[in-house]
Amino acid sequence: MNNWIEAYFVIDFISAGLLLTAVSMNALKRIESCVKAYTLNSWLLASLIFVIALMNGETHLYAAAGITVLSKGILIPLFLGRIIRKMRVTHEVEPYINNVVSLSISAVLVAVVYTSLSDAVFIEGFLKNVLQISIAVLLIGLFIMITRRKAVTQVIGLLFMENGLFLAGFSLTSGMPTIIELGVLFDVLMGVIILGIFAVQIRRTFASADLDRLNTLKG
Amino acid sequence: MTAVNTGISCFLIAAIISILPLQKIKRYTYIISSIGSLGFGLFALSIIFSAPSKLYTLNISSAFDFVFYGDALSGFFLLAISVLAFAVSIYSVGYTKDMKNPGAAGVLYNFFILSMYAVVLSGNIITFLISWETMSLLSYFLVTLQRDEESARAGLIYAVMTHAGTAFIIALFLVLYTQTGSMDLAEIKLYASHIPDTLKNLIFIFSIIGFGTKAGIIPLHTWLPRAHPAAPSNISALMSGVMIKTGIYGFIRINLDILQQSPEWWGITVIVIGAVSCIIGMLYALMEYDMKRLLAYCSVENIGVIFLGIGAAMMLKSNGLYTASSIALAAALYHTLNHAVFKGLLFLGTGSVMHATHTKNMEKMGGLLKSMPYTGLFFLIGSVSICALPPFNGFVSEWLTYQSLLSGFNSVSIASKIAAPLGAAALALTGALAAACFVKAFGISFLGMPRSSHAEDVKESSASMITGMGVLALLCLVLGIFPGLTLRVISPAVFSYTGAGIMPTGAGFLHIGGSLSDLSPAAILISIIIMFITTVIFIFIAGGKRKISYGDSWDCGIKALTPRMQYTATGFTKPLRMIFRKIYLPKRDLNISYIVKPFFLSSIKYSGEITPFLEVYIYRPLTSLIRGAARRVSILQSGSLHLYLGYILATLILLLIFGGN
Repeated sequence: MNNWIEAYFVIDFISAGLLLTAVSMNALKRIESCVKAYTLNSWLLASLIFVIALMNGETHLYAAAGITVLSKGILIPLFLGRIIRKMRVTHEVEPYINNVVSLSISAVLVAVVYTSLSDAVFIEGFLKNVLQISIAVLLIGLFIMITRRKAVTQVIGLLFMENGLFLAGFSLTSGMPTIIELGVLFDVLMGVIILGIFAVQIRRTFASADLDRLNTLKG
Repeated sequence: MTAVNTGISCFLIAAIISILPLQKIKRYTYIISSIGSLGFGLFALSIIFSAPSKLYTLNISSAFDFVFYGDALSGFFLLAISVLAFAVSIYSVGYTKDMKNPGAAGVLYNFFILSMYAVVLSGNIITFLISWETMSLLSYFLVTLQRDEESARAGLIYAVMTHAGTAFIIALFLVLYTQTGSMDLAEIKLYASHIPDTLKNLIFIFSIIGFGTKAGIIPLHTWLPRAHPAAPSNISALMSGVMIKTGIYGFIRINLDILQQSPEWWGITVIVIGAVSCIIGMLYALMEYDMKRLLAYCSVENIGVIFLGIGAAMMLKSNGLYTASSIALAAALYHTLNHAVFKGLLFLGTGSVMHATHTKNMEKMGGLLKSMPYTGLFFLIGSVSICALPPFNGFVSEWLTYQSLLSGFNSVSIASKIAAPLGAAALALTGALAAACFVKAFGISFLGMPRSSHAEDVKESSASMITGMGVLALLCLVLGIFPGLTLRVISPAVFSYTGAGIMPTGAGFLHIGGSLSDLSPAAILISIIIMFITTVIFIFIAGGKRKISYGDSWDCGIKALTPRMQYTATGFTKPLRMIFRKIYLPKRDLNISYIVKPFFLSSIKYSGEITPFLEVYIYRPLTSLIRGAARRVSILQSGSLHLYLGYILATLILLLIFGGN
């Protein structure tokens, strides 16, 4: 049963998909598409966990995959969609820099991660790729947060970072104890809800969802 | 132990009831607090007269546990706190009636007292620092209880000063810990003799700065005249009466108890600091017309007197004069207790006056004695005590301080022979200035005619407030007449430092061993009473019966006397402002507009102020320096969220590149 996984490089494909969805964020112009990219990213993450569960035959990983789909793949996207409707923001992402520059920087980030982590030999095999991709996803998430103006895109960037972090943890430990995974997922869910409320509040207070206005708060 | 358990549970219960939504009975919880402080008072007495022992240990982890340790010194401070907390708690029942946020005040009040108890009972470094910080933070919240601009600013200055002080305290404890390898104060004391001299000097200097900030010595006093007026009066009584004394406690604990032997220059330094604090504190108190600021500056002065005693004790001990040294330390501790009592009384009296008149400015008071006879009487007793006049308590402790300073003549070294009498001279000058200051404080606010509508139609305070002040006024008298009793409470703590006891001969009689000085305040009181009675009798016999007729004062032919013709507080202190103008640097501004020059005036505007030179020449340059540095750093803080995230990304990438390999 494990043969097809290794034979067809399933894990590498899924990891590459994770990275691609993250990179695609640089080029997407509508907030709704960003949410879709995130949803895809989450589903890929869940399927990666599922595949590894098949490979190792550990039952708690199935549960982890299920919970990931449920929270990151369904609940959070639904919630984000609601916020976007509620805030009635324009649908453009409004980045500070254009797509070409943005994509090039992302490529540089991925390259930096690959070169700097190539010598980190504490793990071997397919998981090494997963680790590098996870860190790359994390950095791209952070980069998205830096270059986007709207509060909602910030939240999506943060969620990408979180996915990257989850993946990194997963690749290093081959599945954390269920209770920790549950805790992390619950944390993210709460975090998104709180950030959503904040975003709405920022919109209400500054009559804009742009975070630029926040520096008027400086003393 | 039952007494202390009762005490702790009383304070906790009082704190809990304060949170409950029971607006009507909230202020009666202070009665529970007063019972709690009685419990602690009994406990303090039992600690003073028993051998030093570990009271309670709470193990947190192998490296750190809460240890509470009691000996005669901590017992004495425990007693001082309890005495004042008892009276202030009774007073608070009436005082907090119209308070805006009584719940928060009640909770903070009870925990504040408990934290002060914890500070003086701490047995190891961690316990001490945690209690100390708790006390500082709680008092910060009490200072900012009245949510206005002034309180917030006072609170900020207080927080900055007290944390700067705490930094030095932490540093000195770290030095002690690294040198002795122990957290436990009793163990540190055992190994303290192995500490090299340079580090001992460092510890001494750090303790002056750290504990001196809390105690309020010049030039670290700046928070006192701001924080005390901002806090409610019952809190200022506690802060000025006992909280600043925890600074004294810490100083004695480190330098006299733990380090034991001190070189001569330490004592002389402390005497100089004490003398400067005395004189400067009192000079600034004289210029104040805000009653609470006046009392706050006066606290600086009294801390100076206490430091004079401590300095004399250190200096005399290093000269081998153990009996004289123990008298000096006894004088310092005696004055600590006395100051707690009379300064507490004066702050409570001021609180009553403010409660009735809604002003702190004494230029707007006047004639309060008629409408507030009890408050006036108690304020007078407090003023007489603080001026060190017999038969009240201030007299005894200052007399003991004089005795110890003057016995510095017997020391071997020349430096001590010079420093001691100069300290006594400073104390004498301060005494005279204090008398002037409190003649002003009492005379301007309680005598004469009402100066403004604030002082008209005022009502006497409620019964509980009068009782609270009465307890302290009675204590002023008792501590003044029975010095022997008080010294019996003090001598165990003094004995542990010098090894020489002070033997009081009788409850109301003092004999200083090795000199011809004796003091019997009881005899003074009796002679005062006899003189008073004989004078009255003499007047009746010699004067015979006379008809008493009442009429107006002679008013120089002007139609009627108005309050504006009275002596003002500013006018009263004018001569002193001229004498000490090198210190005050007074500025005056006279604006006259004429109708026909130079005979017909339309208006005269006069304004005058003094320059607080310590603030202008030390604190302002310092703060502007820090502000300039902060402004340069604040370029990093652009307020842009994206830039902050950029910092994170940059850091992450750098870590990946340089940390990865």
